[in-house]
This record gives sequence, C-alpha cells and structure tokens, in this order.
Amino acid sequence: MADQQTNDDTVAMTRWQLNGQEVESPTGMTIMEAAKEHGIEIPCFCYHPGLSIAGNCRICMVESNRSRKPVISCSEKIAEGLEIETESELAVSSRNSVMEFQLINHPLDCPVCDKAGECTLQDHSYKHGPDRSRFVEDKNIRHTKELGPSISIWGNRCIVCTRCIRFCDEISGTSELCIVERGDRSVVDVFPEIPIDNQLAGNTVDICPVGALISHDFKYEARVWNMDRKDSVCGGCSRGCNVEVETLDGFVKRLMPRENLEVNDWWMCDEGRYGWRHLYADDRLSQATRDGAALADVSATAALEQLLCESGPVAFLIDPYLTCEEMHLVQGLAASRPGSSVGGWLPEDGNAANFPSGFTISAAKYPNRAGAELIFGDQVFGDDAKELQKSLVSSDFTTVVAFCGGHLSSGPGESWAKSLSSTPTSIIFSVKNGPWLEGASLVLPATAPIEKDGTWINEDGRLQRTRSCWSPGTEPFSVELVRLQTLQNALGIRGRSLSAAGIFRELAATHDSFAGHNHSDLGSPGLLLSQRPAGIAMDGGSE
Amino acid sequence: MTFRKILTPHIAEDDCHTLNFYQSNGGYSQAKISLKEQQPDDLIELVKAANLRGRGGAGFPTGVKWSFVPKSSDKPKYLVVNADESEPGTFKDRVIMEKNPHLLLEGILICCKAVNIQTAYIYIRGEFVFAAQRLQQAIDEAYDAGILGNDCLGSGLSVDVTVHRGAGAYICGEETGMLTSLEGDRGQPKLKPPFPAIEGVFGCPTVVNNVETLANLPYILEIGAEAYCAIGPEKSPGPKLFCVSGHVENPGTFELPMGIPLRTLIDEHAGGVWKGRKLKAVIPGGSSAHVLTAEECDVAMDIESLTAAGTMLGSAGVIVMDDSTCMVDALVNLMRFYHHESCGQCTPCREGTGWLEKIVHRIAHGDGRMEDLELVLDVCDRMVGKTICALADAAAFPAQSFVTKFQDDFVAAIQNGGSPAWKKRHPSAVGGAATHG
Repeated sequence: MADQQTNDDTVAMTRWQLNGQEVESPTGMTIMEAAKEHGIEIPCFCYHPGLSIAGNCRICMVESNRSRKPVISCSEKIAEGLEIETESELAVSSRNSVMEFQLINHPLDCPVCDKAGECTLQDHSYKHGPDRSRFVEDKNIRHTKELGPSISIWGNRCIVCTRCIRFCDEISGTSELCIVERGDRSVVDVFPEIPIDNQLAGNTVDICPVGALISHDFKYEARVWNMDRKDSVCGGCSRGCNVEVETLDGFVKRLMPRENLEVNDWWMCDEGRYGWRHLYADDRLSQATRDGAALADVSATAALEQLLCESGPVAFLIDPYLTCEEMHLVQGLAASRPGSSVGGWLPEDGNAANFPSGFTISAAKYPNRAGAELIFGDQVFGDDAKELQKSLVSSDFTTVVAFCGGHLSSGPGESWAKSLSSTPTSIIFSVKNGPWLEGASLVLPATAPIEKDGTWINEDGRLQRTRSCWSPGTEPFSVELVRLQTLQNALGIRGRSLSAAGIFRELAATHDSFAGHNHSDLGSPGLLLSQRPAGIAMDGGSE
Repeated sequence: MTFRKILTPHIAEDDCHTLNFYQSNGGYSQAKISLKEQQPDDLIELVKAANLRGRGGAGFPTGVKWSFVPKSSDKPKYLVVNADESEPGTFKDRVIMEKNPHLLLEGILICCKAVNIQTAYIYIRGEFVFAAQRLQQAIDEAYDAGILGNDCLGSGLSVDVTVHRGAGAYICGEETGMLTSLEGDRGQPKLKPPFPAIEGVFGCPTVVNNVETLANLPYILEIGAEAYCAIGPEKSPGPKLFCVSGHVENPGTFELPMGIPLRTLIDEHAGGVWKGRKLKAVIPGGSSAHVLTAEECDVAMDIESLTAAGTMLGSAGVIVMDDSTCMVDALVNLMRFYHHESCGQCTPCREGTGWLEKIVHRIAHGDGRMEDLELVLDVCDRMVGKTICALADAAAFPAQSFVTKFQDDFVAAIQNGGSPAWKKRHPSAVGGAATHG
C-alpha cells in the first residue's frame, strides 16, 4: 500500500482551497484525510480509518462553498474548485454545537471512568466544547450491563457513534452488537442471549471514543496517564501484531494494538491481548536453581560460566520465541565449542482464524520461527532437531543448553523433557516451571516474549522490533541477552557487552540475509527482510 | 374549467375499492395504453411537462426524479412507494389506499413502464392495517385479472407489486430510512450521495414516489400535460388532497385544486373553526411546517405561496387551532413526538429533540425561566441543517415558530407557573425556575 502512494507521478491530484490556501491533494480523498495531510486535524468521533463511514457524530462539519449547510468532512470528497473553511464562524459554531449536544446527557464521571485520559470526548471537549452547561434538565439514564465475558457497556457514556457495531459487522464479521431504542435512549446492546464473544472483541473497547465499552480485564486497574508504554510486538503467534505494552509500577496492565497497515491494521486478537496474564501466573519461574537449590542471580551467571567453561561440545536446544539477537549469541557460543550442534523445538499448532476484513490469526503460536531458520538453517526445527534428539538419547553430549520459553504450559514437550533429563549437565532457560526442568543441573529464569528486547521475523518475512515491557534497572533477573554475552566474555569470545541494537549490527555483518538492516531503520512498521532500507550501505548502518 | 376530483371521485360508494368498480369507471385504460404503446422516454417527458411535483412533502419534480435513474444498468431497478404516511396531521394517502387502491396500482404500472421497472414495493405505515388489507385485496384482484404479474394488461411487460408493512417508526417515512427498513435493517436514514436513483434499495437504482404522486399519473396521461398544468398554479399544478384536522366543524380529507386559499379550505370545506370560536393558528403542511398565525392565513395552498409565507405545503396536513389553544401545551405535544421519533443517529437531532422536549415540558409545568425562550431558539439553530436527514429541521421548525409567533403564551406560562391546563390540574402547585443542574 505504502509503495503505491510514494510514487506521486501516477496519483491524480485535485486542486482545492483549504482555509483560503490553494492546495493539492490526491483525487478521491475525503476533506478530512486531505486536510490532515495539510496539517489541519479535523475532530471526529464516529470516523475510524478502518471502518466504513457512518457520518453520524457530525463533529467534523466544515463550511463549504458548494453547500448552504455545513458538510461532514469524513464523507465529503475534495473536488476541483472546492473551498473549505475549517475555522469560519459556521464551522466553529457547528463543532461547538455538536460538543454541547454530546455533553448534555453524558455523565461527568471522568474521575471514575477508565477511559479518562485517553477519551476523545474529553479531548474534543477541551478544545471545542463549552466551558459550562446550559442543560438544567435531568440526564437520561441508560443501561449498564455485561455484553459478553470480557466487555461491559456503561450506557450513560455512550455517544452512539456505532464504531463498535461497524467493527463487529465489518472486521470480525460476527455482528453481535446493535443499537437498541431510538433517539437519546439509543444505546449499544447485544441481541438476547447472544453475548459478544468473538476473537477480536477487545478491539471494540479500544475504538470506543468514550468510556462506554469497558474491558473487564482493565476495569479500575490504572489511570492511563500513570502508565508507561512500550512499542512492542505480540509474541502470541507468527502474525506478530504490533502492540503497545502498558505498565504500571513495572507490572503489565494492558496490551493495546498499534497501527501497522502491513501486519495488523489497527487490531489484535483477544488471545494476544489478554495473553500477558501468564507473566504473573503461579507457574512463572523467576528463581534460578542449581541442582534444585535456589541461587542468587549473580551466582546463577557464575554457575553458567563454570558449567560451560568446563564442557566439551554442547547441544543447544532453541525455541521459536528467542529474538534474532539472542539466537545470534547462541550461534556464537555453539561456534566456540567445536563439535556443538543446534536444534530447535516447536510447540504444536493452535487454531488459525481469518476474518472478513483480512485480519488473520496464525496457527503457529510463536513469533520467530523465520528468524531461527535464517540463522541456524532451514532444518533447525526439522532434521537438525531430530539429529540432536537422537544424539542426546545416545548420550553423545554431556552438556545441553535448552531454551524453554513461551507462554504454553506444555513447554518443549515430553520427549524433549526426557532427553534433557538424561543428559548429565543440563542448563535450562525457562519461562515456566514444568516437567522439563526435572533433574536439571542449572535452571535459569527466562524472559517471556513481551519481556524481550530485539527483533522477530513474522510469517510474512517482516523484521519487527520488539521492546521489553521492563524499564531498565527493574528487570527481576538477568535477561538472556545479558547472560549470554557475559558467558561469551567468560569464554573469551567477546570483548564488551552490547545492546540489542549492537548485537543486531553484528548479526547483520555476519549474515547475508540480515545485511543492510539495523534497528533504527526498521521504524514502527518494520521492514520485509527482502526490503533493505534505502541509502544504507551494505557494510552496516548507523545507530 | 370546473374542477373534477380524480384521486377521490367515488369514495362515498361502498364498493369504490373494487376492481370492478374501478374498471367500470374507466380504470386501467391509461395504463393499458402506456404499457402497450408509449415509450419510456415519452412518458418521462410528459410527466416533466405536466410539472408533477412530489406529494410526499418535498415537492421534487417527479419526471426529473425519474430521469436520474440510469438507463443502462445491469442491476434490477425498483420502485418503492412511500405509503408510510406518519406526518402528524396527514391522512391523504390512507384515503387513496383504502378507497381507491387501483388508482395507485395504475400509477405504479405507468411509473414502472416509464422507468423500466419490474418490481415495486409499497412500504405502508404499520398502523394502517385496514389500508394494507385493502391494498392487498386490490393487488390480488389485479393479479387475477392479469393486470399485474408476468403479462400486465396483455402488454408482455411484467410488474410485481408487494406490500411491505412498517413497524411504526416515523423515520421510516424518510426515503433512505424507508429503504434501509425495507432491506431488513434498522430504519435509519443513510448518507447521500449515493442517491436512491443511483443506489437505492438492495444497492440498486430505485425510484421512491409518494402514493398521491403516483395516483396523479393516470389523469396526466388522460388529459395531457397542458390541461394538467391548467389546474391550479403553474409551478405546482394538479389536484391535491388536503387534510384538515383540529378545531374545525368538519375535519377530513378534501380534494381540491392546488393553490386553493387556506381560508377557503378551512371555512368552506372544513366547516370553519368549531364552536364559533376564533382562529388562533394553523399548521399548514404537517407538524414539521412553521405555524401560521391567524393573521398570516390569507395564503394560497401551493408550494410557492406557502414557501413565500415562510412555511411549507409539506404533506398538506392542515392542523387548525382555535383561540382556546395554549401553544405551550401544543408544542409540548409536538416535541414529545419528535423526541420519540428521532432515530438517534446524528448527535444534534438525538440530543436536541430530547432537550427541546424537556425545556418546553418544564415551561408548561411551571418551571420555566425567561432565558429558556432564547435557549429553545438557540438549540433549534444548532439543529437545523446539521444532520443526515431532515428530522432535526422538522423538530426545530415548529419550536422556532411557536416560540417566536406566540411568545405571549410562553411568557404567560413562565410567569404564571405553567400552562393554563396544567394549572387547572394542579391548582396548588407553585411555579418556580428550575434550580437543579
């Protein structure tokens, strides 16, 4: 999509006037889109770039030379000779009127509303609304009820923009939501005995411009302005939806989709959205152990160094959750111990889903199979893995380093667990407690997908940057990126420790597939691995 | 030329609704000629020349509307007959459907020929149970007689007509609201463009015409455009059904030439203001029109004259109010209607109609404040012209005109602690400005 628009020669342009200025915009654009390109943000409630145009909120009305009445800029298209005023008396008074109307029946419950701080009604009210109310009547009361297992409606707050309804009609294709009643009694509801319970339902809460739809998961959890945000990528499946991880005092409170038209548009699935709960589950591993006895974090790193320095050839078992940077470090280790070998395990496929909008959920419930196959070869989860398992069973290796990450409670599975426990020295990085840790010589707590800092390659071959939800200094244990580098230092194959970006630079310099790429050029939508950043020499990029 | 009734000529007869009766009075002869002999383009030109204006309320030229339908379209085309007559004070289409249903069917056939349509839906107001039954009987008769169906009147053309009953929403009388309702969705107006002529019901080109409009067609064919234009004023000619209700001796539906003086309509045809009382106000074109004071009632009942008088012919629902009427109570009634009927889609209408009702209700019930009058007018200004359909305008027009033209009634209700009727029912109530909020 982006490629087509960068080629200006092929785009027909229309000349029109915006606030007295002669401007040009691509033909077919709406006034709102075109004005935005020229730096004028026209407010909206019901408009959403991913949904059909409803034109019902009326806040985007502007003055046009082609109409006696104000026109709505979300649906009206630009045309040759069109003159639009966004700040004329008519435009401003139209906006102010809509704001006054929106507020007359809206409760003043911002102090207890979860949307406060990220509420479109608050924002527009601040900019375009009256500073006091002329409404002395009783406000209307509408229902507050559960619409489904994860979502409730606070009807009094609803401004009837129908974004959520259009989402269920057009994006998830499930059509559970509707407006019931008429006039100012109108409110969002579900049909009797059919709750909203689809795999994308959580998005309706995100796109609700007010606090009418509330996620049970986030209700009363945090004030949004107190949270820290990290641009990350969901590790729940190979789709790699772009997300924003929001934390309060170091604890994840919420995942929100981040716009990426190449991957997930504006959406994410509920499986990914609520998937972060496993971080704080009872079976989460946070304590290193040596032969079953607890170890302090520093001692754990020392123990790792000791075991590896004494070892001969090492078997490395990787998982598809590791970042490309972590894999590069593993590969460096393997190369430094002659006779070592690398294989990987994959969790079983889950359910895939395709939605009418084109949004997909992948059956492969892990984020970086593609990265592993590029770094370790395309048989790393195939023949190499079989070979590795065979040699573990026949005790060809005395030392194994295994990565058992991810959010699934099955871990690497029974047969790998058996092979690991039969190896005399087994060092296991694990996110969870599980049977695969039985008899391990050294257990090291590992980072879950959204705790990792680095890059993953999704099922389309798109290299994407993911950032840890932890703030520097608040990590509860040394992350793999650090521990593996410390280990390389101890083994004498590394001089200094680097950030994820530094490790990636090394990777790009040594692996042809990654050549030309670097963290800073990935940008927020990421890049196809085949699509090297423009103007960057092949011998490395700038940070 | 003396005026001859064409829409309601025999409604006093018991069997006026039957096919037999209709045909024995020359019915379907025009449809027969047009179906067999006339070219669609000629029909459209004829209707344009006759200057037939839509009788639903907007007064759009019917022939022009037909010509908007694309001639080359591989999609089917539809005629949707707007029989959702719900404008307060209006009961004209109902008379045609109950007493002269075959006239409508003949009009439908002519329209279908002109625009090359094979399927027509009659979207009828849900409360019109009897009219729907009569229509269905007429349709059944017409199918049995070969007038509708695969070979209409032996012309080889096929036209099917289906009656679809509404479920009681005023907004489904708005053309795009009606089309969404007909499609099975929640009846809500749609953004235009696309206009129904291009993309109407089921996404196909659609003609939407009012019952009375279509009922004029056989007569236009019979007497020709020139003679038709000679009836009433040049710019909006033809016979017209006027509905007179309210404080008159003889309320009812009257077929008269367009342009008849309002006073003649009230005094001669509707028997004058009842009980010997004096005229206070008239709503000339359905409740959405600006109200006229008694002094303003020397006006001709046609589109141009009423527009010049600052109101509209609308649906020609004439509501007469005598001097015992409290305009505050009357407005409460109207505002309750629009508040109840707003579909709730557009913010100004959804919130504005409710707000207006609450303010006017408060004035009538003794909690009015002088600043409320200005507030009502300002709220109206904020509603007019800012919504997808005209319901917001329809609610604002009566509110604006009632408050400005009958300000004394409102001031009295504010100062005296409520409207006279309310005070009578609550003699001990003490009025006072609203203090809450």
